[in-house]
Amino acid sequence: MSMISEKMFQWLDERFHLAKAVEFMNKKYVPVHRHSVWYYFGGVSLFLFIVQVVTGILLLMYYKSGEDQAFESIQFIMSKVQFGWLIRSVHSWAANLFILAVMIHMFSVYFERAYRKPRELTWFTGMLMLFIALTFGFSGYLLPWNEVSYFATKVGTDIAGVIPVIGEPMLEFLRGGEEVTGATLSRFFGLHVAILPVVFSLMLGLHLLFVQVQGMSTPIHMQHLKEEEIKKMPFFPNFVLRDLLLWLIVLNVLAVLAVYFPWELGNKADPFLPAPEGIKPEWYFLFMFQTLKYIPGHVLFIDGELFGILMFGAGGLLWMTVPLWDRESSEGKISRKVTYYGLFVVMFVITLTIVGWLA
Amino acid sequence: MNRLKRILIGAAMLIIVHTVASADDQCYTCHSGLGDLPSEKFAKDIHFKKGISCAACHGGDAKSDDMDIAMSKKSGYAGVPKGNAISAACAACHGSEEKMKKYGSTLPTDQWKELQTSVHARTSFTGKENIAQCTTCHGSHGIVSVKNPASPVYPANVTKLCSECHSSATFMRAYNPSLPVDQMEKYKTSVHGMKHGKGDVKVAECASCHGSHGIRSVSDTRSTIYPANLPMTCAKCHSNKEYMKEYKIPVDQFEKYSKSVHGNALMVKKDLSAPACNDCHGNHGAVPPGVQSISKVCGTCHALNAELFSASPHKKAFDEKNLPECETCHSNHEILHATDDLVGTSGRAVCIRCHSETNNVKGFAVAKTMRSMIDSLHYHQQVAETLLTAAEQKGMEVAEAKFKLRDAHQADLQSKTLVHSFNEEKFREVVSKGISVAELVQGEAQQSIDEYYFRRKGLGVSTLIITVLAVSLFFYIRRIESKGK
Repeated sequence: MSMISEKMFQWLDERFHLAKAVEFMNKKYVPVHRHSVWYYFGGVSLFLFIVQVVTGILLLMYYKSGEDQAFESIQFIMSKVQFGWLIRSVHSWAANLFILAVMIHMFSVYFERAYRKPRELTWFTGMLMLFIALTFGFSGYLLPWNEVSYFATKVGTDIAGVIPVIGEPMLEFLRGGEEVTGATLSRFFGLHVAILPVVFSLMLGLHLLFVQVQGMSTPIHMQHLKEEEIKKMPFFPNFVLRDLLLWLIVLNVLAVLAVYFPWELGNKADPFLPAPEGIKPEWYFLFMFQTLKYIPGHVLFIDGELFGILMFGAGGLLWMTVPLWDRESSEGKISRKVTYYGLFVVMFVITLTIVGWLA
Repeated sequence: MNRLKRILIGAAMLIIVHTVASADDQCYTCHSGLGDLPSEKFAKDIHFKKGISCAACHGGDAKSDDMDIAMSKKSGYAGVPKGNAISAACAACHGSEEKMKKYGSTLPTDQWKELQTSVHARTSFTGKENIAQCTTCHGSHGIVSVKNPASPVYPANVTKLCSECHSSATFMRAYNPSLPVDQMEKYKTSVHGMKHGKGDVKVAECASCHGSHGIRSVSDTRSTIYPANLPMTCAKCHSNKEYMKEYKIPVDQFEKYSKSVHGNALMVKKDLSAPACNDCHGNHGAVPPGVQSISKVCGTCHALNAELFSASPHKKAFDEKNLPECETCHSNHEILHATDDLVGTSGRAVCIRCHSETNNVKGFAVAKTMRSMIDSLHYHQQVAETLLTAAEQKGMEVAEAKFKLRDAHQADLQSKTLVHSFNEEKFREVVSKGISVAELVQGEAQQSIDEYYFRRKGLGVSTLIITVLAVSLFFYIRRIESKGK
């Protein structure tokens, strides 16, 4: 057996010089310290993205876009297609867990200052992927064309329309008209299954390339240690196997969630009906939605909703550009203002999400 | 002798009143001297008798015997009131409680206000005045009390008064071309109309149902003849035991109707498609429906049931025994929701009133079979619904099966109609179709429940495999890491 695999490796090595890659992998190490656990959330996010791609492709075989067919096709998938219910439920649950894992990954990178020089581009590509993941969530939410998704999309796109200058044209572009209709569904479908996967895959490729080339970031408090003083573990096979172990656990969690808490389909969207009471967006937009509710009609002669959006825009920009303004971390110091800003954002997001959930 | 005495006293009183009333009224003195028709009529007018002068309506100085002064603009002489000014002149007193009290009247003072909200207050085709003024119905110089048989609004005269306009196609065309003009003709054929024609002033005439001053369109929710208000309007007389005593007919119709499926739909749910009294009895030509025509009357709404009944063997049997058709099983005013209990051979079943194991045996057997088929369909529907609910509660997608079950409900509804044919074969065909659908849905629901348990087992197996893999991996990692150390 080993003879066969050896011959196969030689055959491939002659053509693709794999020995160099294997050598590189063998020399790759991951630092071991008390915060090492956070390293795994990047891998979990990657695993959940793969699950999304696989289940998404399977769903695509039966899903039909269009206001007359979308809901019915999901109904068909859930009741008639063998294991269709499982695929759909896993896709929905994995989407939510994916965003959760990406958020945990982002906050761990932020608090570990892993974005500092020379990993600024890794941070930027990661942030871009988070925005794309949120757009994935927003566009995918409408695809079943049910009551809740319809009105959530209506409210969500309405908020986008408030942005000055570009708001109105963006609203019409997103909806494919003035209202949320079959045209919106077609656009969201195209975005969800064609445009976003391509852009996301490119970003992911770059992100992984940067991680492989630069290796895992060492925490600031270990930066002063000599190379031999840093406790390490080989990336291959130790770290990869540990990653795999976590993936199996996540897969188990996903299976339990999909079977015990199947994702409900609800009622078909009817644009002529009034919006059901207590309509809420997905949990990852809830903190913004809830904040906009608390902002008064006008703040300093600016429309309250617009003020909220501008604040979120400014806050998000500040967050995204942290590698550019946090000079101290590059010098091996931990900046308090960065920590306080991070803690404020975490507390704000968690509190408002809980309040929104309970409202 | 007594009669002569009464006539003499009456004449003396008239002369005294006439003399007293006319003494201060120079208008009347002059005009009666001229012998003109208005003053001749005014002598009999209730207003004249109450001492009200011509000047009350026409203006001027009634105390002056000089025509130039009495009928001068300076004295406020307005001449003959025209258009809406006529009613306004009447309302000047009839709208004032104080003035009416002064003349010892207990008449309501809202007639003018009511009239203004009525259909008669719409603008006439001249565009200058309302369609009707007070004088249109009450007359002008010879106005007498409504209790006086000489009054055009006396109950015996009302129908004639209203029909002067409402029976004229030419007149009505100008205002409401779609409104029929045969109400009077129909009324004459009604029980009310026939008794009215014989001089009975207690029976309903136009104003009894439509009101007098505030007459509103049938589509106006405030109207006494608005469908949801009509039963109460009829009940004003028909539920009054004292009032109806001499007519020797029941007075519990409204009470029964209120409890009925129709009464509940119309008066509680405000479903205007539900029948009011007039839908079965007619309105202007109101009579109780004849025994043989009941199914036709009910059939105006329940068309299919009536048609099936007319073609059924029961039609002939009912006619022979002079039994009222629908009413025999469903009652008349107190028609309750028709439940399945009405069919069968026990309990509340109406079939056993005529059919038994020894009498009319064939019908008894058919009733028994029909009931058992209905029960069977209901049982299957119930089982299917229970299974669907169970599957749904387990989070299974059963929307399509639920949709299919509608066909079983449809068959159930169809069977309720088809029961009126009393045809076992046709009935079986429909019910069997419903049972087949219910059985199919039961199967699909059961399959969903089985699938649910299969998923649970599948999850158990896959979780176990993944867990074994994870545990093995965990030990493998430990082994290679301990080797590394």
